[in-house]
This record gives sequence, structure tokens and C-alpha cells, in this order.
Amino acid sequence: MNLKTINIAHVRLISLYWSRYAVRSGSGLVYLMIALVFGLSVAHIIIMPVERLMALQKKQIGQENPQLIRKTIIDIGQPIIQFVLGVKSFEQVTKEAASTQMHRQNDTSSTAHSGNNNSAFDPWTNFLIEKKPALLSVIFLILIFGMPFVISFLAFNQISGDVQNHGLRYLLLRTERCNIFFGRFIGTTFFSTAVMAIIVATITFYLGMKVRIYPASDLAIWAVQGFLALAILMVPYIAVCSLISASVDSPFLSLVLAKVVIAGVLLMAILGGFAWKPAKYILYALPWGWQNNLIHPAPAHWLGAVIASLAYTAFFLTLGYIRFETRDL
Amino acid sequence: MTNVVSIKELSKRFGRIQALNKVSFEIPSNSIFGLLGPNGAGKTTLFSIIADFLKADAGTVEVLGIDTRYISRLQGRLSILPQDAQFQRNVPILDQLVFFRLLAGRTKKQSREEVLHSLDLVGLKSFAKRRVSSLSHGMVKRLGIAQAFLGSPEVILLDEPTAGLDPASARQIRDLVKQLQQHATIAVSSHNLAEVQELCDHVAILDHGNLVLAGSVDEITLADREYNLSLSRPLQDSELEKLTSIEGVRNIKILSTAAASRSKQSTDYLITLDLSADHLDQDAVIAPVLRTLLDMSVTPRKLSEGRSLETQFLEVTGAQSDSP
Repeated sequence: MNLKTINIAHVRLISLYWSRYAVRSGSGLVYLMIALVFGLSVAHIIIMPVERLMALQKKQIGQENPQLIRKTIIDIGQPIIQFVLGVKSFEQVTKEAASTQMHRQNDTSSTAHSGNNNSAFDPWTNFLIEKKPALLSVIFLILIFGMPFVISFLAFNQISGDVQNHGLRYLLLRTERCNIFFGRFIGTTFFSTAVMAIIVATITFYLGMKVRIYPASDLAIWAVQGFLALAILMVPYIAVCSLISASVDSPFLSLVLAKVVIAGVLLMAILGGFAWKPAKYILYALPWGWQNNLIHPAPAHWLGAVIASLAYTAFFLTLGYIRFETRDL
Repeated sequence: MTNVVSIKELSKRFGRIQALNKVSFEIPSNSIFGLLGPNGAGKTTLFSIIADFLKADAGTVEVLGIDTRYISRLQGRLSILPQDAQFQRNVPILDQLVFFRLLAGRTKKQSREEVLHSLDLVGLKSFAKRRVSSLSHGMVKRLGIAQAFLGSPEVILLDEPTAGLDPASARQIRDLVKQLQQHATIAVSSHNLAEVQELCDHVAILDHGNLVLAGSVDEITLADREYNLSLSRPLQDSELEKLTSIEGVRNIKILSTAAASRSKQSTDYLITLDLSADHLDQDAVIAPVLRTLLDMSVTPRKLSEGRSLETQFLEVTGAQSDSP
């Protein structure tokens, strides 16, 4: 370890250069496209039923019925939120969804059940559905679940490609290895944060323009919080990719390993949990077990999730840096 | 003459292959140092360890008195043309080299000027805004050389600098290296023995990871004791005896190239001098040799000092000459 020689000016230069290079080399653009397609598709799938309902209402009664729209949003969002937060199991969620559907078919007086179940929500679900713009909450929860799979498209090649083609050799006599490693990590994080900002801004703007049931200030505040959650969440996953990228020479292998590790931990925890309950704690090998707390109503939980994310980041970066500092390049 | 690079007992192993085995030698200040060896001899490994790309298993390397394990202390003082390193293909070459100068603490304007000057030296100034992907192999090699010359490094390592270049470009690079010798110590690895003999004043020869020979080119080629002589016709035995009887001539051998062996009609000879007597110097021996040849109606066509580096290289590495 030779962190004493870290040079802030070099780290800044390398991170800026790396962010620009991410765009120029195409990998950044590929990530931007995938992340945008994923983010906007999620938003579209969630928003589309509400838009249809609004259009139907306009056609049938000449105006929108905000109460009915809110109920539809809760119908869509509640099972997703409760399942993702682990409040209810998959069986419970599907059972409730089926019964709600039956109820709706039997009861044409559509507002009858509006808000009936809200009091039964746990505080977290209630916060996401009632206190915050529910549509945005659902979208954020899905993005928080899905973005860790997408981030590896950007972060897999921080080091490995330049090790394979020896391109790093032009840099090694001009700066320290620690500056390269941390500079590229910061550059990748910067780029990822910018992409998150673009996605969240696009979704929020679209939502604000199309579904006019939330006050703009509520939407804006929740959008900023959601953006922060996503931006912070990406950091430990980028650090995992830094570790993998510094450990293998092949960019392809680095990408495959990043995917396998990120998805593998989740799968092992879920599948292992069926066979042997303590296996579900494998989830905590990565931030999977903590990450939803980044949109938790209690500040202590939120802070805990932020600290956990930073701890994971520090751990993976330390391992990656030790590997990078001591290896042949 | 002080040494700017000092290599002691350097060893490196890749799995079962001993790439370097207790290699020790020094590179004198302001010299052009040639590192020779057949493929796989360990030349690139040695350069890579000097530049700290690779970690040595044992031994030490000091450049300008600094242990290369603390390579950051050599930033700006040591530069390298790595053999097979690639530039970023989709970034304009000007941007890449400017970035290197920014790391050295230059302003954008200074960096740009220095880079354009360096690109001009290798004939690439007009390509500054091109991407690396649009350059030919030879141009990329020249770009690598340009980045090695950036700034004012005191020690420059050039791994196969003229490989893949056309003769004119290779000549341009050799001239550039000679010019830079006034300001820097340059180490060059090359397969081109004639080039090394022309360019370098010191050499080391590696073979299978072992150092087999190191020293000045004059010492290695026995420049003060041996002469290559090409004649208008082969010599008779009696003529050879007559030449050998001249004071200061130890012996005269036919140079046995493959072609000469086949034809048995070699006109190339190697004269070994014996300058042990105080009153003798090279001129005092060579002049009577040439006079005697002319008396015998044999015209000397070419006379050169010392063995060729190729002859010495083939001898110490045990390799066979490929020349016809």
C-alpha cells in the first residue's frame, strides 16, 4: 500500500479524462443507452395504466377523477412496494392482487375502496405511497433493484482493458498507481451519477407533465431524494467492479464476473434461503440487504444505509487497490 | 563516467520460465545503450522491471540513484517506449499526449506546445487531431516515440523503437536518438544488430534470461585488435603467410559466412593484431599490410575496425547466422 503518494491534482485530472473517455470510447454511451432504456421502460410500465385511466376518464366523463387515479396508483404500487421491501411474501402479494381484481370487477362504484387499506400499511409503505408521490416511489424502488445489474456495463472496464493492451504503461511513469485506480473509480462514479440525474430528471419531468396529480414541489423534493439514493447506491457496486477489473486482464471476463457476482449474491441468498434460512444473509455480502433503506422514512435507517454503502465501497476499493498496486502490469 | 542505471542480481520468473536470472550491469550516463538478445531473451521483461510495470522476484534496479520500487520519485526523469502498449484508439492523439503533460504539471497551453513540438520531431504534427485508430502501424510507433521524448527525461528506454518502421523513418528515429544523447541517457532494445552497432556506444547481450556479455561496443567488437578486410580476390596460402609474417599481425582468418563456405572463394578476412610491443600501434601494422597487398596486386575493397556485432552476438548466444 502506498497511499501516501496519492496526488489530488492527478486524481482530478484522471477522473475528468476518464469520464470524457467513457463517452468517447463508446462504453459510456452504451451504458447511458441501457440505463435510459431500462429507467424509461420501468417508468413507462408504471405510468402507462394511469395514463390510460386518465384518458378513459376524459373520454367518458369529460374530466379526470384524481381520487380514482390515486386509487389506481395505490393498486399498482402497493404490491410492488410491499414485495420489494419484504413486508409481504410473493404469495401474499399475488393473492391480494387477485382479490383486488375480483373486487374491482364486482364493484363498479370505483371509489368505494379508495384508501380503505391505507391504514393497514406498514409505516414504510405508507410513507412511500401516501406521503410521497407513489408513482415515483414505485419507479425508484424498481430502479434501486435493477440498476446494480446495469452499472457493470459502465464500470467493468476501469482497469482490465488497459492491462490487457498494456495501455496503462504510458501512464505508469507519469503518475502513481493509486492515482490511476482512484481517479478512474471517481470518474466512473461521476459519469454514473450524471446518468442517474438524467434518468431521474427525465422521469420526473414526464410524470409532472403527464400525470398532474402531485404538486410540483413534492415531485421535485422526492426526485432529489430518489436521485441521491440511486447515486449513493451505485458507488459500492462500482467499487465491486473496480476490484474485479483490477484483478483480471480480460475486459470480457471482467464484465461476466461483475454480472455473476452482483446477480449471484442475490440469487444465492434467495435460493439458499429456501433451503437453509441463514443463507439469506448472503445478501449482505453486497449492499442488497441495505439498499432499500436509502428511501426509508426514518433518518437513522437512511443514514445507516449511507454508512453501509460507504463501508462496502471502502472495503471493495481497498481490496482492489491492494491487488492493483502489487500486480504486474 | 557515472552510471545512471544500475541493475543488480535481477531475477524474474513467469511460471516455469526463468525470464531473467541474476542479471547485473550498469548503463553509463549520456550513453546510448543497446540491449540485445534473441526473442524471449528477457529484454522487454528487463525494461518492464526498470519501469516498474513488472515486479522483480529478486534483485534491485536503481535509476538516477533511486530504487525503482519508489518509481514516483522518477516521474518526469524516466520515460519509456513500451514495446506492445496501445494508445486509446478513439481519442485524438493530441488530447492523449496533452493529458500526459498535464499530469506533469504543465498548463494546457504549455502542454499543447510541447506535444506539437514532440509530434513534429517524429513527423506527426499534421496528424495531431487524428484518432489513433486512423494511424498506420509505423505512425503509431512514431507516436510512441513522441510520447517517450515528451518533457525532458534524463533516461529514456526505447523497446524496439524502429521495429515496423520504413527505412527512412527508422533513419529519422536513429538521428533523433543521436541528437538526444547530449541531454539524456538512452537505452534501446533491438534485433537490428547493425543499427545497434551504428547507434550505441555500450551494449548488453541477454540470452535465455542470462547476461552473456556487457560493455562498450569497442570492447565487445575488439575494435582496437581486429580488422575486417574485403579484397578483390581470394589469397593464396603463400600470400597469407607473407601477411602473417608482418610484425604486429597475430593471424589472418578467412571469414566463414555460409555463402563463402559453399563457394570456398571468400574474399573476406579477419586480421587479428598483436600490439604488445611498445612501438606498435594499429596504424603501424595496418599500413604495411595494405602495402603488401597492393604489391601482390590485390586491391583492398573495404577495411573496418573490429568484428561486427552480429559476429559477436552469434558467437555468445550460440545462434546460427541466417545470412545466405
